[in-house]
Amino acid sequence: MNWDWIRSNVPAIVDATIDHLILTLIAVGVGFLISFAFALVIYRDRRAFGPLAGFAGIVYTIPSLALLAFLVPFTGLSVLTAEIALVGYTLLILTRSIVGGFDAGPPDISEAANGMGYAWRGRLLRVDLPLAMPLIIAGLRVATVTTVGLVMVTAVIGEGGLGQLMLRGFNFRNTTAVYVGAIMTVALAIVLDMAILALGRLATPWTRQR
Amino acid sequence: MPDQPPRASTVEFEHVTKRYDVGAKDTPGAVNDLSLTVPAGKICVLVGPSGCGKTTSLKMVNRLIEPTSGRILIDGQDAAQRDVIELRRSIGYVIQQVGLFPHQTIAENVATVTRLLGWSKDRQRQRADELLGLVGLDPKQYRNRYPSQLSGGERQRVGVARALAADPPIMLMDEPFGAVDPIVRERLQNEFLRLQEELAKTILFVTHDIDEAIKMGDLVAVMQTGGILAQFAPPEEILAAPASDFVARFVGADRGLKRLSLTRVGNLDLMEIPTARPGDDASAVRRTALAHPWGYLLLIDDAGAPIGWIRDADIPEEGSFSEDMAVPMSPLLNRRATLKDALSLLLDADVQAGIVVDRGGRALGVVTVEMIAEVMRQGDHVVPEEPQGPEEDGAGPVDLGETQAERPPVEAETR
Repeated sequence: MNWDWIRSNVPAIVDATIDHLILTLIAVGVGFLISFAFALVIYRDRRAFGPLAGFAGIVYTIPSLALLAFLVPFTGLSVLTAEIALVGYTLLILTRSIVGGFDAGPPDISEAANGMGYAWRGRLLRVDLPLAMPLIIAGLRVATVTTVGLVMVTAVIGEGGLGQLMLRGFNFRNTTAVYVGAIMTVALAIVLDMAILALGRLATPWTRQR
Repeated sequence: MPDQPPRASTVEFEHVTKRYDVGAKDTPGAVNDLSLTVPAGKICVLVGPSGCGKTTSLKMVNRLIEPTSGRILIDGQDAAQRDVIELRRSIGYVIQQVGLFPHQTIAENVATVTRLLGWSKDRQRQRADELLGLVGLDPKQYRNRYPSQLSGGERQRVGVARALAADPPIMLMDEPFGAVDPIVRERLQNEFLRLQEELAKTILFVTHDIDEAIKMGDLVAVMQTGGILAQFAPPEEILAAPASDFVARFVGADRGLKRLSLTRVGNLDLMEIPTARPGDDASAVRRTALAHPWGYLLLIDDAGAPIGWIRDADIPEEGSFSEDMAVPMSPLLNRRATLKDALSLLLDADVQAGIVVDRGGRALGVVTVEMIAEVMRQGDHVVPEEPQGPEEDGAGPVDLGETQAERPPVEAETR
């Protein structure tokens, strides 16, 4: 470990970490919105599950480097290219966890809700969505940690946050840069995971009282 | 109570049939040409073995299940013509698993329908507290808890409170006390009956337990597999005159004993007994007491509550009564106690008579083992006289008007 290098490169490390964070948050945020829309369509019509989950599944199987290479001719070496790929990879995990969350409510609760005269929108907002929270949170955690890792790969098209740092480290045989990149990435993943876990706890107060 | 709509509505099944595709999986029981009328303010219990269509019938009232044919009229209006959401909000619904929302506090759960109806927050909260009190849960202690923090019995109570929130004229209850142990169930049943005396809702109540049906029902609809109504009558009549072998078997062999749980001691012609209060002049009372065949005098306090017995022979010839003369030995029976409860209390206490008291604890009269035995004997007389005619309700739809008219009136003291 070359501590001098670290000391003189703090601003660069911080910048790379912030980039990494932003790339991750945009990917998970947009991915969540799209997945939520998918899940809503499926909530209203079960038959949509096959096609939508199938689409997300196919995207998920494309190797990340191949997907980036495929996108560059259309969207260039840009944040957009990186985000399209990153968002794509969150869809399968998030869609499945949201749909799974909606399905997770015990049948007697749906029946009580219907019997008391909930229309579908009210039932979604007041009953099914809150009850889906634990599974949605779990999905978000997996998607976020996965995305933190995947952001690295986008270094090949000039993005990548901490991935950039590591890539340069490899190129210039600067092992300290590689280690710092790796450690910061892991730290970022853990911090984000914990943050979502904490948010999830706040959003589901009923699961804590026994 | 908020809102003006009728406190109770008439519910009328008119040739209601629900068929399911043959081979379809996990379908509820079918219903075959069900016709019956539940008068406003009465509890009608649908009872029968599993798969007899009792739950299906219930769910057709709030249209969780739509009938294949036939109509359900609520106060004469076809339920199918009403907006389904509005209809459901006007019908209380209690299910066996309770179905409380685990993510909402007890108060939020209870306020569900009032919130859906757009009541103000204050009014919702006030109503929730009122209802929790009504079902015997201290609002201060319970309103902010979550369902997972409650016992099974407490959850059932919250379920009932939630169903009552918007003061619906109709309540549907699907095995509402099925998920709790027998002791809690008994208590919930009693509390609910007491509640119903004040509320006077129209209640459709599903159970597979004939004892519960007999206890809870003003009217009992016995259904048999295939969704066929086997008999629809007051519980006394079901017990005294089962309409078919099926009903007789379903009711069980101990019909005479079961009838005891139908009559409340308050409905008997209680024996009036001579009474006196401490301080009363003994000589004045002595003559009336000695003229009475009972042989004992009951000493009561100023409020009318029984203190104890004084044997006729122990009544002083002069002077006044005092409390230490009286021997307390008879159990006190609430006038709402059933004959079954009374009999078991008397047998336990090994005495011949119990003192029946009203809610304020005032003595109303005396019930004896002999009087209870008499009621059982009366019942026995009714059964053999009854021609067993299962043909009339064999395959086809049961015409209730007729079957009911053919039965002799049974037992004057009903609930």
